[in-house]
This record gives sequence, C-alpha cells and structure tokens, in this order.
Amino acid sequence: MIDDHPMIIEGYKNTLLGENQKEYQIKIDIASNCDDAYDKILKSSQSTPYDMLFVDIKLPPSSDGTITSGEDLAKHAKELLPKSKVIILTMHREDHRIHNILKNINPAGFLIKSDLTSSELLLAFNNIVKGKAYYSATVNDHFRKMMTNKFSLDEKNLKILYHLSRGVKTKNLPNYVSLSLSAIEKRKNQIKEMFSISKADDQKLLEEARKRGFI
Amino acid sequence: MLRFFYRCTCLLFIISIIIGCNGSERTPEKKELKSNLLESYLDIVKDRKNSKEERRSNLEKAYTIYSTISDNIYKVEKNFELCREYYSLKEYEKYKDLSEKALKLSKILNDSLSIAKAYAYLGIYYRRSKLDNIAYKNFYEAEKIYSLWNYNPENVKYVANEHGKVLIDIARIRQRAKDYSESEAITIKAIEKFELAEDETYIPLCYTNLGILAKFLEEYDKSIEYHKKAIEYAKGTDDETSRTLASYNNIGTVYKSQKKYAEAKEYYVKALSYKEYLSKNKKIHSRLIDNLAYVNFLSNDLTEIPELYFKALKIRESIDDKYGITTNTLHLAEYYQSINEDSIAKMYAERSRDISLELNNNEELLKSYRVLSDIYEGNEGLRYANAYIRLNDSLVREERLYRDKFARIEFETDEIAEQNLQISRENEILIIAILGLTALFLLGYIIFRQQQSNKELLFAQTQQEANQEIYRLLLNQQIKLEEGRQMEQQRMSEELHDGVLGRLFGVRLSLDGINQRANDGFTEARNKYIDELKSIEKEIRLISHDLGTETLTADVAYIDAVESLISDLCAVNNITFEFNNDEDIDWEEIDDQKKINFFRILQESLQNIFKHANAKSIKINFDFTEDKINLTILDDGIGFKSNKVKRGIGLKNITSRVSQMSGVVQFLSNKDAGTKVSVSVPV
Repeated sequence: MIDDHPMIIEGYKNTLLGENQKEYQIKIDIASNCDDAYDKILKSSQSTPYDMLFVDIKLPPSSDGTITSGEDLAKHAKELLPKSKVIILTMHREDHRIHNILKNINPAGFLIKSDLTSSELLLAFNNIVKGKAYYSATVNDHFRKMMTNKFSLDEKNLKILYHLSRGVKTKNLPNYVSLSLSAIEKRKNQIKEMFSISKADDQKLLEEARKRGFI
Repeated sequence: MLRFFYRCTCLLFIISIIIGCNGSERTPEKKELKSNLLESYLDIVKDRKNSKEERRSNLEKAYTIYSTISDNIYKVEKNFELCREYYSLKEYEKYKDLSEKALKLSKILNDSLSIAKAYAYLGIYYRRSKLDNIAYKNFYEAEKIYSLWNYNPENVKYVANEHGKVLIDIARIRQRAKDYSESEAITIKAIEKFELAEDETYIPLCYTNLGILAKFLEEYDKSIEYHKKAIEYAKGTDDETSRTLASYNNIGTVYKSQKKYAEAKEYYVKALSYKEYLSKNKKIHSRLIDNLAYVNFLSNDLTEIPELYFKALKIRESIDDKYGITTNTLHLAEYYQSINEDSIAKMYAERSRDISLELNNNEELLKSYRVLSDIYEGNEGLRYANAYIRLNDSLVREERLYRDKFARIEFETDEIAEQNLQISRENEILIIAILGLTALFLLGYIIFRQQQSNKELLFAQTQQEANQEIYRLLLNQQIKLEEGRQMEQQRMSEELHDGVLGRLFGVRLSLDGINQRANDGFTEARNKYIDELKSIEKEIRLISHDLGTETLTADVAYIDAVESLISDLCAVNNITFEFNNDEDIDWEEIDDQKKINFFRILQESLQNIFKHANAKSIKINFDFTEDKINLTILDDGIGFKSNKVKRGIGLKNITSRVSQMSGVVQFLSNKDAGTKVSVSVPV
C-alpha cells in the first residue's frame, strides 16, 4: 500500500483486515513515498512479488526526481511486477486525469477516494482478487461519456479544453500544455470540427465540450 | 545728459501736446480760432500805417492769445514775430522777455535754428543797451550754431541770411572795440553769406562797416570806395535813403580825416539836400548839420558859425540826443576857444564833459578834457591835462584788454559748452553704468529666479516621481499581497485536498471498516455519521477547489472565470441561473483591480443569496451603458427589509469595494419579493 497518509493506510487496513482475514491471508507492506515504494517493489520483484499494489497518485517524489507520482510508480511496477494487480486510489476526479491514468496504466482497479466507502473498497478488492477489474462510479461515468461520443479526445485535447474552461486564454495555453501556440490552435480547430461547430468561438466550444462531458 | 534730458522733456511735451489737444484745447476748431485771431491782431500791428497806439494795443491782445497757445512749434514762430513788433514799438524789455521765452521754448523743442535766432535777438537787445560783452556772447552762441549747421537745399538761404546777420552784428561789435582787422574778416564772411543767401538787404551795412574800418586803418581811398559800394547796394532797397545819407555822412567824415574839407563839405551838403527825409529823421539831420559846421570850422569858413552848431544843438536837445549833444557842445567849445571866448568855451566843454561822464562816453570825455586843459591855465589846466593823460592811458589799456576780451568771451563760452559737454558725457557714462548695472542686476536676478524655479520644478518632479514610486511600490505590494494570498489559498487548497481530505477519508474508511465488523446495534447510527463525514469531505473538496481555482491573473479569461464561479456555486446550491455579459465590455482593457472587485462582489452576493435568500433562481447581468459597467444580481428569494439589514459584513464589503471604484451600489429588496443588487461603476 503506497500512500503518504498513514491515516489512509490505516483505513485500508481496517477495512480489508476486518472482514477478509477469514478468507484471505493478507500481508501488507506499506510505503509513504516514491523512493520507499520503488525499493520495496524492486525487492519484491526479486523475491516474492506483490499480488496487489494500492497506489495513491499524489506522492512525495523520489529523491532523484525520476518518479514524481503514483502514475510513474505504477508504470515501473507494471514492468517489475507484471503479474501484480495495480489499484489506483486517488482524490483526483478530473476527466483528463482519469483518462490519462486509464490510458497509461490500465489498472486492475481505479477508485476515487471521495466516492469510496469501506464496503465498496471490499467489493473492489474481492473483484480484483477474482481477476475482475473494478472501477469507481466516477470512472465508469467517464467511460460512459467516452463511449457515447463517437470519438475520443486525447489527453492533450482534453487538457486544452480543461484549461480553457478554467478561463486560461489560448495564447497562454502553451504554459499549461506542452504544445506550441499554433499546434494548440490547430487542435482547437480539430476539436471544433469533431464537435461539428467549425466556425464557433471558444464559448461555444466549451459549451459543447461540457455537453459532451469532456469537461 | 542735457541733450538726453531735452529729448525726454521734448517727448513729454509732444505727449502733453497730444494730450493737450484732447484736453485744454478740446477741439481743433478752437485751436484754429485762436491762431486766426492772433494772425488778425498781428496783421494790424505789422501795418505801419496804423497809429502806434493802435498797434500797441493790438500787440498786447496778440500777446494775451499767444500766452494761451500750447502748440510749442507754432508758439516759437509767433514769438519771433511778436519780438520784432515789440522792438519796432521800442518796448525793449518786452522784447527781451519774449526773446528769452523763445530761447527756452526752442531749447525744449531742441530746435537749433530757433535757438540761434533767439540768441541773436537777445544779442540785439544787449547791444542796444550798450552791454557789448553780453551782446557779443549771445551773437557768438548764435554764430556757433549757424556755423555748425549743415546746409541743406531747403533752408540754405534762410540759414545763410541769418548767419550773415549775426556775423555783421559781431563784426560791428568788434569794430566798436577797435578790433579792426578781425571785424573786417568777419564782415567779409558776412558778405559771403548774404551772397549765398542771395539777399542784398544787409550788404550795404557790410560795406558801410568795411568803410568805417578802412577809415580807422587810415586806408581812406578804400574806405570811400566801400561807402560808395554801400550806396550802390542800397539802391532800390526800402531804406535806400537812410543808407545813402549814412554813407554820405561817412564819406564826409573820411574826407574830413584826410583834411579834404571841400570834398567833405560837398558830401554833407549832398546829404542835407534830402530835406523831406531829414525832416523826419532829426538825429541824422542834426548830425549832418553839426558835421558840416565842423568841416566849415576846420576849413576856416566861419560864415555860418556858430549858427549851424546852434541849429544842430537845438534839434539834438529837442530829441534829447545826448551823444549828439556831447559832440555838438565840444565843437562849440573848440569854436569859442578859437575866437578866445574862453568862458563860453569852458561852459560848453564842461557841459560836454558832464554828459560824457553821465553817458560813460570816454571818447568824447577825452576830447572834452583836451579842450578843457587847453582853455584853463595854470593848475586847473594841468589838472585837466593830467585827467586827459590818465583817461587816455586807461583807454589805451582798455582797448588792448577789449580786444582780448572777445577771445576770452569766446573761450569762456566754449569752455562752458565744453564743460557742459564733459558733464553730459560724464552723466551719460554714469547713466550707462547705472543702466548696465541695473541690467546686470536684473539679469542676475532673473537667472537666480530661473534657477530657483528650476530647482522648485526639479523638486516637484522628484516629489512626483517619489509619489509615483510609492504608488508603484504600493501597487507592487498589493500585487505581492494578492499573489501571497493566492499562494496561500493555493497552499490551503492543496493542504485541504491532499492532507485534511486524505486523513478524513482515512478516518472514515477506518470507521466504516470497523463499523462493518461491530455488532452492537449502533451500526446504523454510526453509518449515519460516516455519511456525514463523507459529506464533510465533499464540502472540503469543494472549498479546496474554489480556493485553488480562484486565480484571477491576467491570463484568465475573466468572464469565463465569472461564469464558472456562478455555475459552480449554483450547481452546489441547486439553483438555476441566468448569466448575461454585454459584448461591448472590453474586459481586457479594464484594470485588474476592478475585475477582482466585481468578482468578489459577485461572490459575496451569491454567498448572501445562498445563505439567506432561499432563492430558486438567480439572474446576473453585466451591462455597458455610457462608459459605465452595471452589474445586476437578481434573485427570487425571500428578500429582506432594506432598512432592517443594513450593515452586515457582506453588504459592507460590497459597498466598500464599489466606493473604491468610485461607483454606486443599490440594494433593493422587500419581503417575499426577492432582492436586487445593482452596481454601477465608471470605466
């Protein structure tokens, strides 16, 4: 279990150990930062690999700065421990982040902390142990939204829409999205075309994006 | 300096004349009237046919009018005319007064020719008064001006004529002082001037003077020639007769000096034939008779002697010709001495002596002393002889002095002029120096003031700069403060999100987990609290979100931010909203402070609505009218009594923010009628 809040780990433990002790023998290692977590993952990969990883997204970065979040950590874990199931637990519920995590990690479980109750956590745990993926309602919502659209927007496009919706001006977008201004303009036009509102202004674009659930 | 002064006074006078024209002589008509009257009086005076009384009374009238004239140029002109008339009427003191006035006026007008003329007039007065020294001085002053005068074609004749007159006057004074050669040179110069002036009026006088001079120089033939020339020139002139008679008399005298008595007698008789003229001019008549008698006496022709002497004496006594009488009585004394009538001779000689003493006529006195010394014998005779020698010596001495005198007068006059010039030059230098110093001082003062004001300006400028700097610093401070606040908000947001929320989540999860296992009958109750915890989490996340996204930096599209604020808040509070933004508002141009203020006002108002209003929908409008941004927030809530809820923190904040932007805010509400907040802010 990787989380920088001992209280949260305590919560996980309380939930899992209370009920499941009867069915499963659960041995838990905990790590509160990326360095620790990476060390432990590495160690386990050489001895007994973990069956399951609880990964928080927001974590204190590693001392060498190569691993900055649970996302990076999960990527490493997938390489080192290909058989272990990764469960992402995060407070973040923004579409583009969800999208990103799903795309990059494709975790066995994706739980949004704010939605989570102990029974849901247990449900998820049991499902994943049985080899079934489990996603929080919010994540499923995202999937649904993605599915209802005939197309999907990539991370960069979603970011553009997200920042635009926050009120960032197009000319300042390069500071938020690692793209040149012209590239951003191009993408914005592409999005508009996809929304079939080619000549519309940003206001319209955002309205449409909101309607279609991209924001 | 003097000239400068005159110029100033002259200027003042001209100004005063100009003013005077509008003032004392209110109309040009009046001025003209005056001059007309004056001319008419003068015409009467000038007409010699009128009686002397009539002329005199008219002259007085003319003088009265003349006194009231304020046009100085005209006044000077008339002044000379009046002078001439006074002279012709033998009012010599009046003549002198007027001449002096003319001199003063001319000096005021800085009119050189008039000044010279006035000097000449005064010279004539003093010569008449036998004050040759003063007369000479005046003539000399006049002559100086004329000789320095640059002739110009316009008035060359006039100036030459005037110059000639002055020269002949000088020559005659010099002649009387027995400075013959100088007098002769001046006379010739005078003739040249008259020739230049093409005016022969005074040429006879010149030749007469030359004749007299030649006689004194014992060039008798030349003298006679000159006198004859005088007669020639006098022909056809107004005073031909008087000139001719004078010349005849003079020629007679020359012949008498040459002891050519017959020729002398011939001329006297010739002169005496002008009976008509002589009957009117008794002085000349008596002189001619006396001279004829004396020539007769000298040529031993005693037929009409002493009758002729008595005849002359009688005429002279009748006209009180004292000079004539001295000569006449002396002639009688000589005659009576020659016929040994010593007592009668004595009587006449003494009479001549007394009158000569009275007249201060030294030449006749000397003659009388000679006669008396001859008549008296013994001590008395010796006494007269001594008196004669003394007087003769003193006369010789005086003559010598006299000749030098003119040089001295000229020198003194020139010296005074020189001194005046020197003084005026010194004064000019002084004035220039003072002016220069004043200018220098003024310049210095101006420069000083300039520097002072420059300093002041510089000071004001630096002060302004300092103010601007302070303002900038304040603004920076404000921005930093805002940044700091935002950073703090961001930090709080993150702290809430990642820390508090996380821990709360952990606690809830733990509690939930434990609750699943506990079977004490309170599971439901605890579940309720766990749900409550969940809702607290939700709320904290919202707060965190609000804190984190409230970044009103320049690169945030303002209206989007506003709308997202409204939509977020309304979504949370389950209220529908309508938001309109006037396209005319150029938010990019509006300064950040105002934008932030609007944002906060909106936030505050919404907060109020959510807390108190119980509203179902709200309507928010940004309008742009007449350079003003109007924000209206309308809700359909329960409202409040405007006067009751006056100064809640929320309303106070809104009011202060609006007044900061020098705008107007209005809260309109009534119970159950919703609330309307109107904010109007000038751009």
